[in-house]
Formats: sequence, structure tokens, C-alpha cells
Amino acid sequence: MAEIVLRNVTKRWGSFTGVACTNLTIADREFLVLLGPSGCGKTTTMRMIAGLEDATEGDILIDGRRINDLDPKDRDIAMVFQSYALYPNMNVYENIRFPLKVRRVPAEEHHDQVIRAAEMVELTDFLDRRPGELSGGQRQRVALARAIVRRPNVFLMDEPLSNLDAKLRVSTRAQIKNLSHELKVTTIYVTHDQIEAMTLADRVVIMKHGVIQQVGTPVEIYDRPANTFVASFIGNPAMNLMEGTLQDGVFTGRNARIAGIAGPDGPVVLGFRAEDATVVPAGGDIVAPAYTMELLGDATMVAVRAGGALVTVKAPKDYRVEIGAPVEISVPAAICQLFDADDGSRIEPA
Amino acid sequence: MRFKTFACFVGPSLLLMVLFIAVPLVSVFIQSFHVTQPVIERIETERCTAGFLEQQCSTEIKNVPVLDERGSIVTTTRFVGLENYRAVVRPDSVQAAISSWNWPALMAIDFWKALRFTLSFTLITLPLVIGLGLTIALAVNNTTRSIRGPVIFVSLLPYIITPVIGALSIRWLFVGDGILTQAMEAWSGRQISMFAQGWTIELLMLFYRVWHVAPFAFVIFYAGLQTMNRDAIEAAMMDGASRFERLRYVIIPHLMPLIFFVSLIHLMDAYRVFEEVVGFRSQAHVISLQWLTYDLLQPDDAGNRAVSRASASAMLTMIGIVILLVPLLRKSWRDHKGVR
Repeated sequence: MAEIVLRNVTKRWGSFTGVACTNLTIADREFLVLLGPSGCGKTTTMRMIAGLEDATEGDILIDGRRINDLDPKDRDIAMVFQSYALYPNMNVYENIRFPLKVRRVPAEEHHDQVIRAAEMVELTDFLDRRPGELSGGQRQRVALARAIVRRPNVFLMDEPLSNLDAKLRVSTRAQIKNLSHELKVTTIYVTHDQIEAMTLADRVVIMKHGVIQQVGTPVEIYDRPANTFVASFIGNPAMNLMEGTLQDGVFTGRNARIAGIAGPDGPVVLGFRAEDATVVPAGGDIVAPAYTMELLGDATMVAVRAGGALVTVKAPKDYRVEIGAPVEISVPAAICQLFDADDGSRIEPA
Repeated sequence: MRFKTFACFVGPSLLLMVLFIAVPLVSVFIQSFHVTQPVIERIETERCTAGFLEQQCSTEIKNVPVLDERGSIVTTTRFVGLENYRAVVRPDSVQAAISSWNWPALMAIDFWKALRFTLSFTLITLPLVIGLGLTIALAVNNTTRSIRGPVIFVSLLPYIITPVIGALSIRWLFVGDGILTQAMEAWSGRQISMFAQGWTIELLMLFYRVWHVAPFAFVIFYAGLQTMNRDAIEAAMMDGASRFERLRYVIIPHLMPLIFFVSLIHLMDAYRVFEEVVGFRSQAHVISLQWLTYDLLQPDDAGNRAVSRASASAMLTMIGIVILLVPLLRKSWRDHKGVR
């Protein structure tokens, strides 16, 4: 059991605020991903939970117990680092065994626990090797095994896949997902990769400049972004965001006119996903010359300039258009989302 | 790199090393098996006086060195095998002292007296230098960034001071009317003489050497700590390691190559201890192997220098250093091969 609560947690260095008054509850056995660009405060938040950074203000609670003043070792938390942080002088077996040794777990239990952890990450053939003799993926698996060997209450993972190549990242990601399912331990995972966030998380927390922008399931965040930052950060390609004016249910922007939008009159930002719009031969809501065309194999991405932004639409894989030739795009009003033109926050339909 | 370029860079250094290290070394090695002595000729002189009843004559025999046409003494060098080593080590006296369990008799032989001090000086100062250097490095590494500069400067001061000057400074502090001796006398209410017996002099020598060399170890270890992977220390903290366990399992293994390096340098340096004997004027009580070699090279009353015995003593000092270094070098070599 480990429910983590952050109550008004703030981290400041002098006048710079790294994390601003964060309130968050992470349920027991939940897989929560902290997502955001570099410098958004996600790693600092994790390090405060780990005890590697002191919170300037606020309370951190695990199962209702305030842990701010506890040493990292007393919080029953295991952490996986981006750089693996293995002990180069010890072999794989000793690396995995280290937490048991320093926590004074009876020596006769060590072997079984180490072997079980090694089996979970498929490392049993490499137990005699030193970290320097392993590949990046194997090293990260050693770090995982070291984290799981003592069965902690909470796992913290700080961009564990960032140093791996694309192929290895996919397989290790699957392994982490599987482990999380098997171990059922509260996990906080920090990443700036939205695909990792979407594939692994029960819930995603999106941060910017030390402030939480949105907390929700991957589907909620993808379908109903709280503001233009989240809309533009999640999804590949990101959500199309056009500036324009809404008047009597009609959105008008440069090269765009979309009718049937429910919302307050005035300047707005209109957003829609590339896969929700279609390229049509005639009668489109957006009519603009093709800016670029990218062949992805299973689809063709067509981009035009409209509403002060580059608008990308997913077209069938055999669709072809000359750059500069007019493209007509149909945007159903039902899939459109509105954001405030000033602060970018989401405008819920009346 | 082409061989010619390589040779251009390395050649001059190699030449100087051969000239100033290898050649003298070989020369000392050869010298240690030879004895050079002046050629002496025996001159008989008969002197006669008129006498009272009959003439009185006496024959005087003199051994005088042979001079060449320029008036210089003619010398001859001959191979004597291990005779010089025997003269330094004096195995017969050693055997007699050991068989009679007579430690003072053994310590009365200059070589063994010097070896005893040199070895104990080297082996006691080594862990103290490593330990103190590491402690200072860890302390400086953990202090606030703003005061690190001044702390590093102050910590380095003992190393900057010339060894003989440093030794003399310590001596002046502890001689009969030195500040610290006066203070200790005032505190204890009794007369204290730090230079009246060997063991107190040795203590001061050990203190001085550790004080002088620890900053060198500190600088090396502090540099090593800057290359430490911060994540590994934090991982150990998360794993549950105490401060001491982090030091033992993470920091010291990371610094181990540097600890070997400092140990090698210190062993070579400490085994050649000399400045302390001169600075503390301890030769009446405590001598080192290096000082013994120096003493043998001093001219005696007749102006002769025991160059051959000095060479043997120097070779024995070098052999001692090599024996001390072998375990460290073997370990380094094994690690090097392991890394490859």
C-alpha cells in the first residue's frame, strides 16, 4: 500500500521557482507519468519524493505519513536513474544484491531474491559480468532488478529509457509495463517522451515551468487537453491550433471558415487533430495552398497555412498533391475544440 | 602517429633519462661490486749516524701512495663481488645478534638501524597520508562552494613549503625553548625534551611527513571526487547505504586507481626519507637508508670517501623500494589487463 500525496509542494532556489505549489494525489498501485519539456520541474518533483531534494514548502505524504524529514533510505522507495547509476566495481549479481546487503536483510535470503529479480528482467546469464561489459539495455535492466529486488512500496523512474536507442527503447518499455503489471507497486515515471507517457501511464501529469498543466488519463489528455500547451505537447503531429474569431457559431480565420461551432463570440484558438480532418475534392472548410507533403507509408501528411499556423491533416496513403496547389480540408465542427485566445485555456462548450 | 614524429617528441626526453638516470644507475650498480683504492708502494729508508764507537744504522719502512707524473695519486679498481654489500649489511654481526636475541646489537649496525626506521616511517605514514588526504578531500567536497577556494589554498600550504624548511620549522617549535615545548611544559608542569630520545624524534618526523604530504593526496582525491557519478551516490542512498557504506562501496572503489597512484608515489618518496634526518638533526638517534648513503659519501679524517659502500647502500635502498612497489604494480597490471 502506498498512496502518495503532494500538498502545496514548492521548490525554490533563491528567487527561481523550480516547482510551484503542487498538489497531487497518486493512488496506491497507480502508474503515474510526469511529462513535460526539459526544465519543467518533473525531475525535481520526483527527487523531492525520493528525498534527494528538500521541499522548500509543503508536505509529502506516503500513506498519510509525512516523509519530508525522512532520509531517502527510510522512505521505502526505489529509484531507477537515467544514467543507470550502477556500481562499476561490482558485478551484476552484487549490484542487484547491494540493497539487501546494506539493509541488513538476512544473508541466506539474498541469493533467492537476487535470482528472482534477475529472472524478472532476464539477466540470469549475465550475473558474473561487470556493468562495463553490458549493453545499454542490459545495464538498464540491472538497474531495474536492483530496484525491484527488495520489493519497495514505491518505484521512481527518472527517464530510464532516454539513453537507449529507439529499438531497445520499445522493448524495454514493454518490459517496464509488464513489470509494473506484475509487481503492482505505485510507480512515478518521469519522461519528456509523450509516447512513453501514453503507453505506460494510468494517469499523466503534464508540467510546464514548475506548474501542473493537466492531470488525467492518456485518453483524457489526448482528447480533451486543458490548454493549448497540453494540446501542442501531446500527439504526433501535435493538435492543429488556428487563431481566428468565433461569431454566431462560425469560426473565421485566415484560409478557414468552419460553421456549427458552439462557443462564445470573440477571438479564439480552434484546435483539431490531424487524423480527425479529411482532405476533400471540394467544399472544404479550409482552403489553402499545400505547404508541404510527407509520405509516412500508411498515410500522407499534408500541411497548409491557415489561421496563422501550419495545419497538418492526415490523408490516405496514395494521396498526392503538388506543393502550392490548392488543398480543401473538411473539419467537422464536432471534433473542434476551443481555447481562450489570451491565456490558452480550454473553453468548454456551453 | 608516424614513428619519426613520435621519435622527435620522445627522443630528447629519452636521451636525458638515459644520461641522467640510467647511466648513473648502471655506474652505481657496477661500482657497488668494485673497490677503488690508491696504489701504495713500500719505501725502505736506511738512516745511519756516526755513533760513539761504531756507526748506527736504522731502516724505516713507509707506505706511501704512488703519484703519477702530474702529482696525482694513482688508484686501482678491483672487483670484490659482494664484499661491499657484506660491509654494509654485516651478516656475521646480524647472525650473532639474532642468535642471541639481542635487538640493541642489531640496531647498533647502521644499515639495520636505518632500515628499521625507513620501513616503519614508510609504512606508518602511508595509511595516515591516504586517510588524512581522503578526509580533507571529502570535507572540502562537502563544504559550501563559496568557501572551497580558501579552504583548498590553506590545505595546500604545507605542500608548498620546502621540505627542509618545513622540518626546521617543526624542530624550532619543539626544541628545548620552542613555543610548543614551553606550552607543554607549562601545561604538564614537568621538563620535556622532545629531542633527547629517538621515539619522540620519530613521532615528530612522522607528524611532519604526514602534515607535508597529505595535501598532495588531498588534491589528487579531490580531483577524483569531481569525476564521481553523482547518480551512483544517490542510488546508494536510495538503496539504503549509510554514509560510511557509500564511502566504502561507491566512493573508495571509484578513487581506487588514485589511491594506488598516491600510494606508489608516497612509497617511493617516503622510502627515500632524508630531509627529516637533516632538518631534525636526528642522526645521533635516528637515521634513514638515504642518509646512510649520504654519510658514507662524506670524507673521513683522511679525506677518503666510501664510494663503493655508498653504492651498495644505494642499491639496497633501491631494491627495498622495488620490493615495496611490487604488490601495487602487480595489482595495477592485473587491473589494467582486466579493463582491456
